[in-house]
Amino acid sequence: MKTQLNTSTPKAKVEKEPALKGTLASVLFLGFFLIFTWVSVYFLFLNRL
Amino acid sequence: MMNGTWKVDARDGKLAMAHIYVAFVALALGGLAGLLQVLVRSGKFELPAGISYYTILTTHGVLLGLVLTTFFIIGFQFAAVSRTAGTLSDRVRFWGWIGFWLMTIGTAITAFYILIGEASVLYTFYAPLQAHAGFYIGLTLVVVGSWISGFAMFAHYAKWKKAHPGQVSPLLTFMSVVNMVLWLVCSLGVAATVLFQLIPWSLGYVDRINVLVSRTLFWYFGHPLVYFWLLPAYMIWYAIIPKIIGGKMFSDSLARMSFILFLIFSIPVGFHHQLVEPGIDPAWKYLQVVLTFMVVIPSLMTAFSMFATFEMYGRSKGATGLFGWLRKLPWGDARFFAPFIGMLFFIPAGAGGLVNASHQLNQVVHNTIWVTGHFHLTLATTVVLTFFGGAYWLIPHLTGRVMTKAMNRLAIIQTIVWSIGMIFMSSAMHFAGLLGAPRRSAFSTYGDAPQALEWIPYQIAQAVGGTILFIGIILVLIIVTNLAFFAPKGETEFPVAEVAEQAERTPLVFENWKLWIGIAVVLILIAYTVPFIDMIQNAPPGSKGFKLW
Ligand code: HEM
Ligand SMILES: [Cu+2]
Repeated sequence: MKTQLNTSTPKAKVEKEPALKGTLASVLFLGFFLIFTWVSVYFLFLNRL
Repeated sequence: MMNGTWKVDARDGKLAMAHIYVAFVALALGGLAGLLQVLVRSGKFELPAGISYYTILTTHGVLLGLVLTTFFIIGFQFAAVSRTAGTLSDRVRFWGWIGFWLMTIGTAITAFYILIGEASVLYTFYAPLQAHAGFYIGLTLVVVGSWISGFAMFAHYAKWKKAHPGQVSPLLTFMSVVNMVLWLVCSLGVAATVLFQLIPWSLGYVDRINVLVSRTLFWYFGHPLVYFWLLPAYMIWYAIIPKIIGGKMFSDSLARMSFILFLIFSIPVGFHHQLVEPGIDPAWKYLQVVLTFMVVIPSLMTAFSMFATFEMYGRSKGATGLFGWLRKLPWGDARFFAPFIGMLFFIPAGAGGLVNASHQLNQVVHNTIWVTGHFHLTLATTVVLTFFGGAYWLIPHLTGRVMTKAMNRLAIIQTIVWSIGMIFMSSAMHFAGLLGAPRRSAFSTYGDAPQALEWIPYQIAQAVGGTILFIGIILVLIIVTNLAFFAPKGETEFPVAEVAEQAERTPLVFENWKLWIGIAVVLILIAYTVPFIDMIQNAPPGSKGFKLW
């Protein structure tokens, strides 16, 4: 690999996105929980039809 | 610091505190009613002296659902606009006091008619149940008072905008204005049914009432009402909690965007409370259910934003791993802990809400005690714990005192007691509801029906949980009394968060009120015009009034 020189791109500084892995995991968990609850009661509904 | 003053002016503080006192008196009396309800429903206790269960339940619903919430919210918002958009002018403050007194006198009148047993119609006062006219007149004063306070806040906001042309208003002021716009638009519905239907009918000027129209007007108000309760809790989550934990807000624009979405999507959806009602075409119910599900968007935006705030803060403190940031949060600080637990409870609460709003699933839970379990999570835990957490800094800020370590510890215990009580009571309500136990009914074995006997263990659990909750109410009242009258003198901060550096600049479009209110009105007209005309044109004969208690 070539040594990277300190060439700053003309486009000012590169915005650094904060690392939000935990947030992603949390909202995914939240989404699954919502779906799980909904489906549970849906099956209860089907059982009682 | 943004344009605001650091400290709420003492005169504005008095106005805010007046509201907060009434709110906590309502909590004390309403909590006592709640305790009596769970005891009655356990089957082991009967109300003395022939007091009706419905008198108690009406007291509970009105004091906690309507009075505690409205007073705390308006008091909190007066403090918030004063803190962030500057001290109120004498005129605005004067009208704020007029609003306060109208609301207080109205509450007293309504409470009087409930307590003498002339108005056991529950806090939803559905026709054809008929209360004494005084009940409705008192409620009218409460609503009119709240409108006056709302306009006082609008005037304060307008003055700020005039003094700062082209600038984005302070977030907490913006949010308070959104909430009062929401309140104003939706309470027109309840005002219409009270003024044009219920009052003339209860006074005997007209004999009969169109029940479906009155229920529809009520729920045009009733659903946005829950967002009127929730948005101030979101104000605390978005704009205050980040400061309390020592972090930054994830994004100002996202917060404003979610408030605007709530304004737009929380009104044209009242039919989701009327899914089993005859006389409304299912197509219109379907449309309103679709609109209901749109609030999933701002709700998940809020969840994302909160997680992100916490994670960004934890990582800035060196947290590693997927969930290491959780350990960096200030768990020992009740100003954070109480609202945070409120947020956690919002997860099952939201899940239950999706069930309620789905037409088929609604048939499983409609009018069962599941629904009561649901809103004791949303309102009586998420919102209320957030308000308690707010009170822990707001009251000492306004009264020039500081919260001692001992009181902070008691507040942590209070939060834990509330959580335990609510887990028992609310879970029992959810499960009993799935087994068909009705809400709004005293104890009965329904002639020893096997199905009704199944509910009894849950009703006992409900009573255990409710008793623990009542202890929680006593604890919070001790803390609030201490903060208002006995805590050591000193300066307490009114925390207001700043925005993270990476966040985008907030565009001005969020304050294009004509646009947002216009969209809201268009959606309301689309969702309601045709079914409403139908209800009037194809109405069955109206109903006489009934007093069934
Ligand atoms: C000690 C704490 C509490 C207990 C034990 C309690 C208990 C109950 C029970 C058992 C019911 C349903 C009764 C029935 O449907 O027959 C009920 C209804 C209700 N509760 Fe609570 N509750 C408490 C606190 C709260 C709080 C803090 C709020 C709101 C801020 C609240 C708001 C309501 C509302 C609006 C209703 C509906 C009344 C109705 O259906 O007409 N409760 N409560
Ligand atoms: Cu609703």
